[in-house]
Amino acid sequence: MTARADASIDIAAGRANRSVLSRFWERNGAGYMFLVPWLIGFFGLTLGPALISLYLSFTNFDLLREPVWVGTANYVRMVTADPKFAASMRVTFSFVLFSVPLKLCFALLVAVALNRGMRGLPLYRAVFYLPSLLGASVAIAVLWRQLFAADGLVNMFLANFGIVGPSWISNPNYSLWTLIVLSVWQFGSPMIIFLAGLRQIPADMYEAASLDGASRWRQFYKITLPLLTPVIFFNAVVQTIEAFKAFTPAFIISGGTGGPINSTLFYTLYLYQEAFAYFRMGYASALAWVLVVIVALFTGFAFLTSKFWVHYDD
Amino acid sequence: MTNRRSFLIGSAALAALGATGVRPAFAQADRLRLLWWGSQDRADRTFAVADLFEAANSGMTVDGEFLGWGDYWPRVATQTAGGNAPDVIQMDYRYLFEYARRGALAPLEGYRGEALHVDDFDQAQIEGGSVDGSLYGISLGANSSALMLNVAAFEEVGMDLPGPDTTWEEFAAAMTEFSQATPRQNYAGTADGSGVEPLFENWLRQRGKALYTADEQLGFDAADVTEWFQMWADMRAAGATVPPDVQALDQYTIETGMVSLGRAATSFAHSNQLVGYQAINPEPITLSNYPRVGADGSGGHYRKPSMFFSVASQAANPEGAVAFIDFFVNNPEAAAVLGVERGVPESAAVRDALTPTLDELGQRAVAYVAGLGDLAGALPPPPPAGAGEVDFALRRVSEEIAFGATTPEAAGPAFIDEAAGILARG
Repeated sequence: MTARADASIDIAAGRANRSVLSRFWERNGAGYMFLVPWLIGFFGLTLGPALISLYLSFTNFDLLREPVWVGTANYVRMVTADPKFAASMRVTFSFVLFSVPLKLCFALLVAVALNRGMRGLPLYRAVFYLPSLLGASVAIAVLWRQLFAADGLVNMFLANFGIVGPSWISNPNYSLWTLIVLSVWQFGSPMIIFLAGLRQIPADMYEAASLDGASRWRQFYKITLPLLTPVIFFNAVVQTIEAFKAFTPAFIISGGTGGPINSTLFYTLYLYQEAFAYFRMGYASALAWVLVVIVALFTGFAFLTSKFWVHYDD
Repeated sequence: MTNRRSFLIGSAALAALGATGVRPAFAQADRLRLLWWGSQDRADRTFAVADLFEAANSGMTVDGEFLGWGDYWPRVATQTAGGNAPDVIQMDYRYLFEYARRGALAPLEGYRGEALHVDDFDQAQIEGGSVDGSLYGISLGANSSALMLNVAAFEEVGMDLPGPDTTWEEFAAAMTEFSQATPRQNYAGTADGSGVEPLFENWLRQRGKALYTADEQLGFDAADVTEWFQMWADMRAAGATVPPDVQALDQYTIETGMVSLGRAATSFAHSNQLVGYQAINPEPITLSNYPRVGADGSGGHYRKPSMFFSVASQAANPEGAVAFIDFFVNNPEAAAVLGVERGVPESAAVRDALTPTLDELGQRAVAYVAGLGDLAGALPPPPPAGAGEVDFALRRVSEEIAFGATTPEAAGPAFIDEAAGILARG
């Protein structure tokens, strides 16, 4: 009797479960079916390989033979016995430290200049945005090589003033700077976002401020900047991540060597060399995961400190 | 309404099935996949030979693909690891042993005489393509390292070109004199060769040393490296070479060599590149052997199999692949199309038939490799794993000295330590 009652409860519960499932399916099934191609891509092409690379980072793997488990040896070697790891860290951090602030300042400057309701604004926006579309491409890196080579355009221009310029891209003192300039030149996408942010600031605030006799500079400092901090925050995080990931310009300009004397050995370029020039997939995977952690730390730090300087004014 | 929904669900499911239902169509018996590295010129010649092969063997199709040297090796490695290797793979001496010993290549010993005719090949080149006593790579041509010289620049200042007996001492003096005499702006006698591995190897071999020993160790010591770097530092100080920030533009390709960039009268290259150098240089170019350590010593050169064709062990139709290779190296029509772009053909019959038909430049390249005589020695043992990184390191250290970040005395022992560390890691 009790057993039968239990059984009937189970059946009822099962029915209820099924009907919940089928109701869920009826409501969301089509949506999930539409997501399937993306889900396959995400699990098969992004998450799957990422997890495999995490496993490989604890192995030695040369693509032809089976991976050999080595524990944390790859990570230990990085911090104890790899001068190139240290060199590539120095290059990448210098690049991030200089290129991101310079690029953001430049983008903000141009955005403020463009925000004054001039004629032909869409045209200017498009023109200034163009480098961002082209900048990471191989063609631009090749162009940069021509511009900053020993007898490139830059030195031809300097020659007009009697200055004999060095070969910028192949001199270890300047080569990283040519890449920073290339990065700053691609200020278009943060500029567009700044421009959108500037449009959000109510005009009556400026009116009130100028009635009170505030100077242009004071208006910028007291109104524009504080109200723009959410956009600055967003741009800073995105551009920092982009800068850590920079690869193509250094690869093309140094011919894949990171030279001269490792002066353009970006972290991603070193990772590429280990993986695809020397076939140390295990070590390269470990390098990739260290980069993930570094970028996560930077982003986390930015979010943690944001409550002290980012104003969400509602 | 329900109809439309079920239609949507159905088509989404179809799309999903379609995404998983892609079947790659590799490993078909009548279709050969061929992969090589090289320039567009090489590709045009190779595709033309593939067409000839298809015409001669009805039912066979050859799908060829080519990449630059740097992108080529990641592709071969990933395709081999993924069980999707091309049937015919262009191989380099540097990688042949690695691939053969890991079972990625099919042994070709069993085809010799029957399907594969290599009896009139230079014996040393057959041995160069053999691993542990079995044949794995068929050499597509021989070449050797060489100086590329701008003839017009030397004639302009009335100086003799470096010749077969020029010693390093004479070379250094001549290049210094040239740099002072030339009317050209920002133009030096020679490229800075201190970071050029084949040049360093040649110099070591003349001194009875080697880049690597047969047991995969370094074949030279710190004193050798220091002396090498010191010799170049002296030439640099005397103005014989281009300055370091110009040398750093050299990516060791034909297009970025100092002769091609118009910055020096001498570059360091390989004999089969003479054709390529002349193609992009308006002034006449010729070639000569590397300078000699002493007038009576050996020349340090060797005839290198410039590249091989190998058959993947995964090939669905190894007989077809071998037939293609045999056609490639023995068929007279194919030889006429290929010329000496991959080096001097190995088959004596092909070489004899081809040579009179070549233009003056091609003949000079053939004559150079054939005429090395006493200057050429035995093929060195294949470079060990990690050799590619040592090559990069040599270049970096040479730059450190040239830019003044270190001295030859300090760099010699440091380079030995670094290179030994790289080899130990593999």
